[in-house]
Amino acid sequence: MSSTPQASWRLHVATGGTDMAGATGFADRALDLAMAVVEAPINAVERLIGKRRMPYLFLAPNLVLFGIFTFLPIAIAVGYAFTGGTELLISNRPFVGLDNFRTLLSCESYLVPGSCEESLFWTAIWNTLWFVGFNVAATLLVALVTALILDRAIAARGFFRAMFFYPVLLSPVVIGLIWKWFLDRNGLLNAFLQMLGVPPEIFLLEVGWSRFFVVVVSVWFHMGFYTLILLAGLQAIPKDLYEAAAIDAATPSRTLLRITLPLLGPNLIVVLVLLMIKSVQIFDEAWVLTNGGGPGTANTFLVQYIYQMAFAGDLRLYGLASAASVLMGLVLLVLTLVQLRLGKKAES
Amino acid sequence: MGDLRLTNLNKSYGAVAALHDVNLSIDNGEFVVFVGPSGCGKSTLLRIIAGLEDITSGAIAIGGRDVGALSPAERKIAMVFQSYALYPHMSVRKNLAFGLENLKFKRAEIDARIAEAARMLAIEPYLDRKPRQLSGGQRQRVAIGRAIVREPAIFLFDEPLSNLDAALRVQTRAEITKLHRQMQTTMIYVTHDQVEAMTMADKIVVLRAGRVEQVGTPLELFDFPANLFVAGFLGSPRMNILKGRIVIGDDRRVLVDVGQPALLESDVDPASVSAGQEVLAGIRPAHFVVSEEGLPFEVQYHESLGTETYVYGTLQGQAEQVIVHQPGHFAPAAGAVLKVMPQEGRLHVFDPASELALARRHGGH
Repeated sequence: MSSTPQASWRLHVATGGTDMAGATGFADRALDLAMAVVEAPINAVERLIGKRRMPYLFLAPNLVLFGIFTFLPIAIAVGYAFTGGTELLISNRPFVGLDNFRTLLSCESYLVPGSCEESLFWTAIWNTLWFVGFNVAATLLVALVTALILDRAIAARGFFRAMFFYPVLLSPVVIGLIWKWFLDRNGLLNAFLQMLGVPPEIFLLEVGWSRFFVVVVSVWFHMGFYTLILLAGLQAIPKDLYEAAAIDAATPSRTLLRITLPLLGPNLIVVLVLLMIKSVQIFDEAWVLTNGGGPGTANTFLVQYIYQMAFAGDLRLYGLASAASVLMGLVLLVLTLVQLRLGKKAES
Repeated sequence: MGDLRLTNLNKSYGAVAALHDVNLSIDNGEFVVFVGPSGCGKSTLLRIIAGLEDITSGAIAIGGRDVGALSPAERKIAMVFQSYALYPHMSVRKNLAFGLENLKFKRAEIDARIAEAARMLAIEPYLDRKPRQLSGGQRQRVAIGRAIVREPAIFLFDEPLSNLDAALRVQTRAEITKLHRQMQTTMIYVTHDQVEAMTMADKIVVLRAGRVEQVGTPLELFDFPANLFVAGFLGSPRMNILKGRIVIGDDRRVLVDVGQPALLESDVDPASVSAGQEVLAGIRPAHFVVSEEGLPFEVQYHESLGTETYVYGTLQGQAEQVIVHQPGHFAPAAGAVLKVMPQEGRLHVFDPASELALARRHGGH
């Protein structure tokens, strides 16, 4: 037990000059009073449980929320994956063992979703795979190029940084709606094309175009976030390394390949991991944009499949949806571990 | 060839002028030190020579070739950075090889140059380590090695010792000097440390506020500072500055009256002054002699360094504290009054308005 318990939790607030002594004095007293009110119970608890346990006490509320909204649902989903029927209460659901997994995984050929017992699942898997491939590559490239440009001492850098980040602040539904209006049969893009004399295209009802724009929208939506991470990494590279490279006769491309990218490695890994996970989870903005995964099932992704099975169909197939969630979770886990391992190797 | 000419060089950042009309000539093989307080423009000048900063006006030529428009890589220079700027993700060997690989040197030539540099700098055991596995002194050597393998016409050093501890700094200082003797290549070295400047340089360039104050050998600058700034900047402790007036003696010798019973003899050219003119008289602490006759100096306290003693006190009628250096042990009591005189020919006389040293008689010390 500390002999001076007040000292450990007291905030020290630097006060300004003496020219505003009256105002500062009042602010000081108010702050002292507020701190005393906060400190008293903290000190009482500290005397009760000891100083060493205090940090855990502060972490506890977050841990409880985390448990209720993250760990508990994971456990419930795993439990549901082994049950059947359409009842919501787990006590009313029959145990079916690995049946749900068997249903999801029984295929004549995994490459042909039509040959699978649960063909929509495999359609969603393949749709998700191509989306992840294109989206990760495109977002990474766009974010990296943007970050490299913003890393230069260009005018109005703050403005551009804010502009690219702005979409991140929007709701996915808003994003989906904005782009839907833009790409609609009577939307802005078609109006513009008509002005140029190009015949209008119904972008969202054509498989190729709709998939293309799902990626475009996703890149536009998320690139600002990844640009910011990469920009932070770029700005952490000491400028004199670039000067040394200039004296060492390194061309711009060699500087990029031999200096910038290797030193950006840890940030690139972080971006890759986050981007991959985010891409696998693609759902809301695409769902709004494509009117629920259309045309047909061309843009039906894994999370949408899970959502439809559990909550949108006539039959509430919670077991099947949970099994699909568990499979997706496992894949993400493996991918993340592989990438973290690669990252560690790259760092050492 | 590693000779350098700077002609009417100006550099400004927007409205802020960093360098004013710098003219400087450095011969091949010279060890030149740029010295001055922070913000004097010495690093800017070095970076301009390196090609890392462009010039606002003026000309810069290396080996007779105008390099103003050339990239750093094309100037045949190599630079050792204050932070070392080693590539952290590359081994020492790769750090040394990077520049040569960029210049498309043959592998055998690269290996030979790395081996030679590593031998000179005794960094062979560390060639396959990463910079973060090295001590500060070792990193410093690698940074120098990276410059050596380029075989540049001019080496540029930007305060390379400032990140080392005191003992290592003295040792590395000597090693760089030795390296210069071996290689006989032009080296330009930036520092704010006057001891480094005095001990290493063939030629010192003193800068203040973007202007060259004086250029000369270390002893020229020490013995004949061109102005008050150079006089105060070089030498430690600082030169004592006394207020005085010119008195013209019978033999047309110029004497300085500093408000004391005794007048101080100077080498000032009598043609350049008039009797009664106000001047500042400068005497380095080490150039005072304690004797029977002289200026009454009231002791305040003293600092004994074992091999030498600094006595702090005041001269009657002079506001500024005066420091008197004595070799060996010397322990005057506080309040004691000593008689001190400047050594002959060691009095510096400055004009208080222009701060310039007054012209000396021809043949004077």
